[in-house]
Amino acid sequence: MSSERKKGTDLLYSLIAQARTYPDAIVLGRGDPDFDTPAHIIATAEEAMRTHGTDYSPPEGILPLRQAIAERIAHVNRTEYDPETEIVVTNGGQEALFLMVVAAIGPGDELIVPEPNYNTYNDSLRFARGVKVGVPTYAAENFRVDPERMRQAITPRSKAMLLVSPNNPTGGVIPPEDVRALVQLAREHDLLILADDIYDLLVYDDYVHLTPAAVPGGKERTLTLNALSKTYAMTGWRLGWVAGPADLMARVRDLKAAINGPNSIVSQYAGLAALTGPQDDVIRMRETYFRRRRMVMDALNGMGIPYGMPQGGQFVFADISATGKDCVTLAREILTEQHVLAYPGSAFAPGWDNYLRITFLQPDETLREGLERMGKAMKKLGAGGEAA
Amino acid sequence: MAESQTKAAILERHRANELLRAATYPVVQRTNRDLSIEYPTIPPAGAIIEASVSALQQGQTHYVDVPGIAPLREQIAAFLGGRGLHAFQADNVIVTAGVQESRFLTIQMIGDLFGSIALPQVAHPGVRKAAGVRHLEIRHLPANAGKGLLPSLDAIRTTLQAGCRLLYLESPSRLTGAVFSQADVEQIGALLAQYDAAAIWDQGLAPWVATGHYASLAAQPAAAQRVAVLGEVWPGVGIDSWQLGYLAANPDWVAPMRSQKQIMSICTSTPAQYAALKAKDVYATTHDGQLEELEWARSEAVKLTQAAGVEPLPGSVVTLLAVRTAKAETTLRSLHERGFEVGNGADMGAPGVLRFAVMPDTTRQALQCLVEG
Repeated sequence: MSSERKKGTDLLYSLIAQARTYPDAIVLGRGDPDFDTPAHIIATAEEAMRTHGTDYSPPEGILPLRQAIAERIAHVNRTEYDPETEIVVTNGGQEALFLMVVAAIGPGDELIVPEPNYNTYNDSLRFARGVKVGVPTYAAENFRVDPERMRQAITPRSKAMLLVSPNNPTGGVIPPEDVRALVQLAREHDLLILADDIYDLLVYDDYVHLTPAAVPGGKERTLTLNALSKTYAMTGWRLGWVAGPADLMARVRDLKAAINGPNSIVSQYAGLAALTGPQDDVIRMRETYFRRRRMVMDALNGMGIPYGMPQGGQFVFADISATGKDCVTLAREILTEQHVLAYPGSAFAPGWDNYLRITFLQPDETLREGLERMGKAMKKLGAGGEAA
Repeated sequence: MAESQTKAAILERHRANELLRAATYPVVQRTNRDLSIEYPTIPPAGAIIEASVSALQQGQTHYVDVPGIAPLREQIAAFLGGRGLHAFQADNVIVTAGVQESRFLTIQMIGDLFGSIALPQVAHPGVRKAAGVRHLEIRHLPANAGKGLLPSLDAIRTTLQAGCRLLYLESPSRLTGAVFSQADVEQIGALLAQYDAAAIWDQGLAPWVATGHYASLAAQPAAAQRVAVLGEVWPGVGIDSWQLGYLAANPDWVAPMRSQKQIMSICTSTPAQYAALKAKDVYATTHDGQLEELEWARSEAVKLTQAAGVEPLPGSVVTLLAVRTAKAETTLRSLHERGFEVGNGADMGAPGVLRFAVMPDTTRQALQCLVEG
């Protein structure tokens, strides 16, 4: 087991396990929406169990679902994909991420990764025996992915750049002008782009999400992942996808067939229902996330804890330097004393020891209580007081 | 767009990876003329659907434990224990997103521990594909015609003597349904101990072997800690397309496989897992009846082929009938013209072999194509 994994994913799972030992635990760490899957999706899944329960699927997923995904991408991301050859259905965004990395990166190849980043990218790169070249982002710049810093990270072994927007864990959204500049950079240096759009419908205020594949010259060199987990509260169904140019997607399809074959037929029909059915629940959930985001920001302001502006996503990345503690120690203390779980920033990249990632994926009252308990812990550490 | 050298290099690397690009098993549609399947299934019982839906309605739509929900792992461990595999408890089990994921996790992660792996010449195409995802040193276990195209014990011994310490074995064979006998299994277990070696044992078709005629390598006391087993969860009761498999192994191997499972998919789908909890009961009441009916149907199909002078390859799985024919291509064409699909041995390392699923009503019709030559 790599030491990096022990400090990353394994650390998070150990915190989750500890939280489970407290009956009154409030989890503000994991990216699992508290909402249950909308009832109409479950109802359609039930019907599918009866009428399609023994149907087989090709490894890339049933065509009606791929068609619905193509329509979704066209509508939301303004990018056209051929559902026959340019979309593969996956076991959640997690598998889509793994497939993208393994498809694009070979032994010794470098992937340029803005940091901090979702730790599974590190794990997937290790599997592919690739090399991560981290590019720092800064809270003072709202975690901007600076094209010039990305350019300086390019070496002869660079094969791709990772663009996650909104970013996990920072919530930073890459503004359209930077997306265009990064696509141009990729073109100039013949890099692929691995684009993670999983939070593309959770962008706040006036921030704008632009997917790299929608930029002229982007689509032919971009693999893009997305999933239904976050937007439709379908984490347990494991339904995501990769979209990309047909030649690269042939490789993705072969990898999918080799790794686990087709998705569950039931999950696929549930996904079809989610994408083609009423969207009222999605709108309602999104409005709730907007409100809760404000709650977390206000609470952190009350604690005197600064944070990067959460431009998108389902979390706030808070700077806990004022506590004098590193993030792992602080996370354990808050969990042990107050039974509230937030994720340490160092789990997402080395050097982020002064940050905690706080999700707002609990019912309002629970979230409020969790923030109050966290506030008590912060006050005890002398980090209280209104933020400037 | 000017040609991308980066993309060209990726595609060239992919083109050169013959293992990864090995034939994908056909996408079948469940009709009674599709004889390319490994075993038949029935529509999922209402109780199975209700169990899954009830769980979903009660909120089981979120992430669950990486290795699978505890009750299902306990069920699988109990199932294995009931067949003499006493080394595996719930913590030794991982519920996977289908048997192909079981293949991938065992081949790649246990293979990584050992550095090399011996694969059977004749095996499910998913075996080669899984091995091709990331470089592994691979050796081949030649097939033995007398053993239903399983590797011979001599081939296994030779491979171990040459220094390869990890074997992948199917028993039953996914092509012919042949099984290693009790004596074989004891000898393989002894060889593993002698050479300090290990094995991945695909026993997914074992439920379709007539009762009392199956021996698992993992049931050998000396071999238990050296063997990882894999298969399908409650096959044949209608949840096969819901993609649930299992694997079981000692803790030192389970740990990296569990980590890799988390990396790849976080967990297996909840509707499928909760359905499986109820599917166990349906399996308990229906499987023996399915087995009996298919055993009869297979014996009738064997008589038909023998009457035509074609001896089926040795096989113990009542759902499969494999024959070798010099006219495989013309027979396949004839079958397709009549609306039949069958398994092509060429996709599994055995050109000239055709695999027919045993269906009570249509297998005899399909075999007519073979008989008519």
